[in-house]
Amino acid sequence: MPQNEHIELHRKRHGQRLDHHERKRKKESREVHERSHKAKKLIGLKAKLYHKQRHAEKIQMKKTLKMHEQRKTKQKNDDKTPEGAVPAYLLDREGQSRAKVLSNMIKQKRKEKAGKWEVPLPKVRAQGETEVLKVIKTGKRQKKAWKRMVTKVCFVGDGFTRKPPKYERFIRPMGLRFKKAHVTHPELKATFCLPILGVKKNPSSPLYTSLGVITKGTVVEVNVSELGLVTQGGKVIWGKYAQVTNNPENDGCINAVLLV
Amino acid sequence: MALYNFKKIMVVPTAKDFIDITLSKTQRKTPTVVHKHYQIHRIRHFYMRKVKFTQQNYHDRLSQILTDFPKLDDIHPFYADLMNVLYDKDHYKLALGQINIAKNLIDNVAKDYVRLMKYGDSLYRCKQLKRAALGRMCTILKRQKSSLEYLEQVRQHLSRLPSIDPNTRTLLLCGYPNVGKSSFINKVTRADVDVQPYAFTTKSLFVGHMDYRYLRWQVVDTPGILDHPLEERNTIEMQAITALAHLRAAVLYVMDVSEQCGHTLQEQLELFNSIRPLFANKPLIVVANKCDVKKITELSEENQKIFADLTAEGIPVIETSTLTEEGVMQVKTEACDRLLADRVENKMKGKKVHDVLNRLHLAMPAKRDDKERPPFIPEGALIRKRAMEVDAPKRRLERDLEVELGDDYILDLQKYWDLMNEEEKHDRVPEVWEGHNIADYIDPDIMKKLEDLEKEEELKERAGEYDSDDESEDEDMQEIRVLAKQIREKKQLLIVQSKDKDVHGPRMPRTTTKVRGGGQFKIITAVSVLVCTRFARRSRSITKKRKREASAPPTSKTRSQSASRPPRDQSGIRDPKMAKKAKKMMKNSQKDMNRQGKKGEADRHVFDLKPKHLLAGKRKSGTNDYR
Repeated sequence: MPQNEHIELHRKRHGQRLDHHERKRKKESREVHERSHKAKKLIGLKAKLYHKQRHAEKIQMKKTLKMHEQRKTKQKNDDKTPEGAVPAYLLDREGQSRAKVLSNMIKQKRKEKAGKWEVPLPKVRAQGETEVLKVIKTGKRQKKAWKRMVTKVCFVGDGFTRKPPKYERFIRPMGLRFKKAHVTHPELKATFCLPILGVKKNPSSPLYTSLGVITKGTVVEVNVSELGLVTQGGKVIWGKYAQVTNNPENDGCINAVLLV
Repeated sequence: MALYNFKKIMVVPTAKDFIDITLSKTQRKTPTVVHKHYQIHRIRHFYMRKVKFTQQNYHDRLSQILTDFPKLDDIHPFYADLMNVLYDKDHYKLALGQINIAKNLIDNVAKDYVRLMKYGDSLYRCKQLKRAALGRMCTILKRQKSSLEYLEQVRQHLSRLPSIDPNTRTLLLCGYPNVGKSSFINKVTRADVDVQPYAFTTKSLFVGHMDYRYLRWQVVDTPGILDHPLEERNTIEMQAITALAHLRAAVLYVMDVSEQCGHTLQEQLELFNSIRPLFANKPLIVVANKCDVKKITELSEENQKIFADLTAEGIPVIETSTLTEEGVMQVKTEACDRLLADRVENKMKGKKVHDVLNRLHLAMPAKRDDKERPPFIPEGALIRKRAMEVDAPKRRLERDLEVELGDDYILDLQKYWDLMNEEEKHDRVPEVWEGHNIADYIDPDIMKKLEDLEKEEELKERAGEYDSDDESEDEDMQEIRVLAKQIREKKQLLIVQSKDKDVHGPRMPRTTTKVRGGGQFKIITAVSVLVCTRFARRSRSITKKRKREASAPPTSKTRSQSASRPPRDQSGIRDPKMAKKAKKMMKNSQKDMNRQGKKGEADRHVFDLKPKHLLAGKRKSGTNDYR
């Protein structure tokens, strides 16, 4: 026992109070009443936080109780058979799978031409011009109103230089320019922070696509070389499309889902 | 280099508590109300303030943690090594590094979101940005959960380390487990170290303090060391090794002569030789403990040779027994002397000494003649000194008796009584016997004395001592009475005359005039002097008389005074009209003060009619009846 532990040393040498155990027992049994009193009397923000915490605790308690009960019974386990397991008589069918890959590639190329993809968010609210672009008044008497400032998050490429300020019609402020997006792979369920290569299509308007405005539902191209994906032919994939799933101007970051 | 106080490190909260504290602080200390229709800059400012406030709090708290915890490079190498042994230097540095990273990340998050908020054009957008910012900061902190837990444990242990000063005079005890190091320190200092029959009772360093030669010494007790190479040593042994390596102290290597610790003398010698390199440049003493069980002379030849070898090398071997306390003082004095000599030697070798030496000069007075002037020691002191040296047994004290008898001791003061019959000392004295109260018979002549006293009192009373006597006066007294009467008459005459005089000269204040009663006082003091010398015992009657006499003059005195001193609101007033006006003026000036409830014109107290602690703050639960 270290030298400074006076309380423990005293307890070791002289023991506890004579009524220590009784007091301890009574205090513990009083705890139940105190907790219920607290739960009834708390109001305001503290009450909200407390009830939330308590609810989580109760859920955990119920789960453990159920788990204890489950041990006594046997249940069907669905995980035993792995997915993609093929019975023995179907094993030697490689040629067909390869053919399938080829036709997939052709189908994808056709889709690209048509401009239609299968996307996780098929329908998105359209953003009007008044929402996305803000009118900037210029001129000696502040009457000319031909300049617009983008109020949403946007992407400008690496080699971007502004047009001379007198002539630029659309202002994309530096504070709203983002280069990276948090992209989630839908099957791996993992999220990576990948650099954006460009804005492919903004569903609201082709003007926004050309400006590089990123809103919810925009399809962007991201640099996936970090993931190390490889095609069937052995080529390294370094760019893929992803669709934005949040409102970047409200959250300060771009969250996207990879389109596989 | 910052000064660290290991006991004053702030508590490191758990991640969850940390987040709760900071978020609730933000909610309480920043304004809570904002509406959609406010101007946009006001809304932005409102939310930016919250983000910055949260960031500031996190930053402050994390910075405090980083400065409170000691940097291993800045503290004494003894403590640095000890902390490495106990907490693992790498883990410690990593944990602090993680906290530092978290702090920087939080700062960056706040900066980014404040910049974004400048483009917020609606309340909803600003609110979402603030929510995202706070959420991100809290997530960063949630990831530091394990670092914060580790640092809290380190803090608790660090504050409990014994406060060993690495630079002062220290004695270090080392040896196998169970040889008697803790018993030694218990004997020499007031440290209460646990002593138990099993090995490794002492699991950490203990410190005790003792005095020797008017100086304070530290004694450090270490856990026992076993004999295996350095790499295989566990944490407990490493603490002892650290102390040995870094503290410049006198080393007392304790050996168990009786081999009760479970290790033979050969093994103990092996250990001694293996840690010998750590004893370099340190005064070393070998303590042969437990000599009450077995003395060195009782040992076998080869074992005696061990001790002989050690003595031959110049290391003193002292036999001790912490049970009977023989040799303990000898060890202490020997070790302290050696260490002092060593320290002085080291100091002399250093550079700083010369500054001091140059300034020191011992002046010896030159002899002026051949006369011997030895120091004067009084006789009693010499006798006492001789008695102390000889260790003559003093008179046996009650205390000695008490110590001897222990629990059987009973305080018996009756044995010191000086009675004629020695056997009656311990008899119980009753209070009542045969219906008589013993206390009445303490004195055999008591009844006679009582009768004498009563007779005397009767005589006195008959003689009239207690009467008041008017008639028995002698000439002096009569003269005094005549004189007093004359004086009285004269005074009354003077009063009447002054009243008739009608002189309204300038009136001096009361304090400048001499005390009027001075004259009368002189008479009375003269009278009392006369009276006291002759009628000393008649004081009661005289005072009675004086009382009666003294009643008349005061009345005349007040009458005379009141005539010359009018009340202040009537002084200087010619007629009732003027009096009325004066009164009105007085009342006017008092009106303002009265209305404001002031005590007077000097009352400049400002009342706090709207106290801040009752009227300011957010509307929490409760109505307006009681805030």
